[in-house]
Amino acid sequence: MAKKTYDLLFKLLLIGDSGVGKTCILFRFSDDAFTTTFISTIGIDFKIKTVELRGKKIKLQIWDTAGQERFHTITTSYYRGAMGIMLVYDITNEKSFENIIKWLRNIDEHANEDVEKMILGNKCDMEDKRAVSKERGEAVAREHGIRFMETSAKASINIDRAFNELAEAILDKTAGREPGDHVDRVTVDRRQQSSTTGSCCNK
Amino acid sequence: MAYKARLRGFDDILQNDIIDIKKLKELAFNGIPDDQGKRAICWRLLLNYLPPERASWTAFLAQKRELYNHFIDEMIIIPGSQCSEGDHPLSLNPDSMWQTFFKDNEVLLQIDKDVRRLCPDISFFQQPTDFPCSQIVNSMDAKRLHRRVEFSVLKSANVERKGLGITKIALSLKKANEDYAPMAEGEEAHWEVVERILFLYAKLNPGQSYVQGMNEILGPIYYAFASDPDPNYREYAEADSFFCFTNLMSEIRDFFIKSLDETDCGINSMMSRLLVQLKNSDLDIWLKFQQLELRPQYYSFRWLTLLLSQEFPLPDVLRIWDSLFSDENRFDFLIYICCAMIIILRNQLLSGDFPSCLKLLQNFPPMDIQIILNKAVELSKQKV
Repeated sequence: MAKKTYDLLFKLLLIGDSGVGKTCILFRFSDDAFTTTFISTIGIDFKIKTVELRGKKIKLQIWDTAGQERFHTITTSYYRGAMGIMLVYDITNEKSFENIIKWLRNIDEHANEDVEKMILGNKCDMEDKRAVSKERGEAVAREHGIRFMETSAKASINIDRAFNELAEAILDKTAGREPGDHVDRVTVDRRQQSSTTGSCCNK
Repeated sequence: MAYKARLRGFDDILQNDIIDIKKLKELAFNGIPDDQGKRAICWRLLLNYLPPERASWTAFLAQKRELYNHFIDEMIIIPGSQCSEGDHPLSLNPDSMWQTFFKDNEVLLQIDKDVRRLCPDISFFQQPTDFPCSQIVNSMDAKRLHRRVEFSVLKSANVERKGLGITKIALSLKKANEDYAPMAEGEEAHWEVVERILFLYAKLNPGQSYVQGMNEILGPIYYAFASDPDPNYREYAEADSFFCFTNLMSEIRDFFIKSLDETDCGINSMMSRLLVQLKNSDLDIWLKFQQLELRPQYYSFRWLTLLLSQEFPLPDVLRIWDSLFSDENRFDFLIYICCAMIIILRNQLLSGDFPSCLKLLQNFPPMDIQIILNKAVELSKQKV
């Protein structure tokens, strides 16, 4: 029972305003299915999926959080242990996009400094209701040096890709860190903001 | 006790001029019959809405229901409908009706998202109510709350100009299919009623406003009242569930308030109580949780805040709430039920790793609810 069935364990976190589709994204990724009949997430929920990257079996432990302010004390306690964070907004909801800044501040306050981040503009299948252009999404991601993708849990667009890319970025970081390595020697140049592909460790 | 005898037991208590609430609690603790609207009437009593003196009911209910209608008239307003000098949508005056309207809509937006996600596995909330609120549904949609927060998008068109001066304008008229489709004039669905109740509650309790999860507390109450076979009661399901919900919230509202998390009445203290109970009842599991660093926030936050309403199918939730509402010390029995739920999964929990244990607790396996309740009673009696 206690035998390890994976090589690495990555802890990921999904955050963003209420109703942007965090639970649906996770459900699409873990069960490859979509349903609109989700109840709202209260507190925190979680799912597991194992992926294979560069010959390594990686177990993703993904935490799904409630969007509303009330739950922040509960949910921010998970930021610390997270190695990757998906920040989700809804392309049909301007407000959820504006709040990305607020969520980024939350990450700065509560997460590890070297946490891998990715911004997802979800519901990109609803072109007729779009309120946030892809360019604006890209711009905000570029400004903060974070990866960006538009996704649709419903139409299954970019969901697997997003998780794989985030996992790979974490893998890049962990790969150089064999036991005995000094983690604090890895410095990420924060001024280099033009690169959307982020990580530039151990050059 | 045979079902008929139980039903008679309830009749005996409920027919008295002054209802013995203590006796009612003893009986209701073991479950209220699903028939004859018994649950609806008992919950009205157990939640301290109806007074025990039966003679006062008619006048009391009439007064409360009128008060509720008054709330609707007063709080669901359309700015611009009354002539108020100097008020306009861009007014910065804090008393501006428009200001209030826009502020309210922010709360409403959250409520709207959640009521559309209420009990999606049953169709009840999507069906029309027999008793729509007439001043709302006959307002040409103006007073329908969900209309206020619908995204409106200006129509756009692709304009293509070819040679010969021919211009092709392609209007995109795709329509999203709505699961919770709005009803025709004069009708409304149960979820719209629930939305209104939550909105009024948020307006009347501005310090707390609406917090996600309140819909899950209101849902079962409204369901019990709106499916009462007696039309004389069913007609007022909205007003009555508003007041019962308000009373219940007054007892559990601290769970919903972030600033009270660390206080004795807050959710953290409830979670600690559960953990202490677990330690006393089953040390092995407690130790295992310690070792796995499986904290109560991961599973019991939702259990306790929502009084287990998201963990079980609705009929089981109704049954659990019969016991919870009959609890002399609300909500001690809730702790026992939660503890029983953990202990029942003992073997799987003791042999599992972190993810499998958490998965199990977050998705409680289907089982006869009576097994859990019996275990909870057993735990409550172990107390010295």
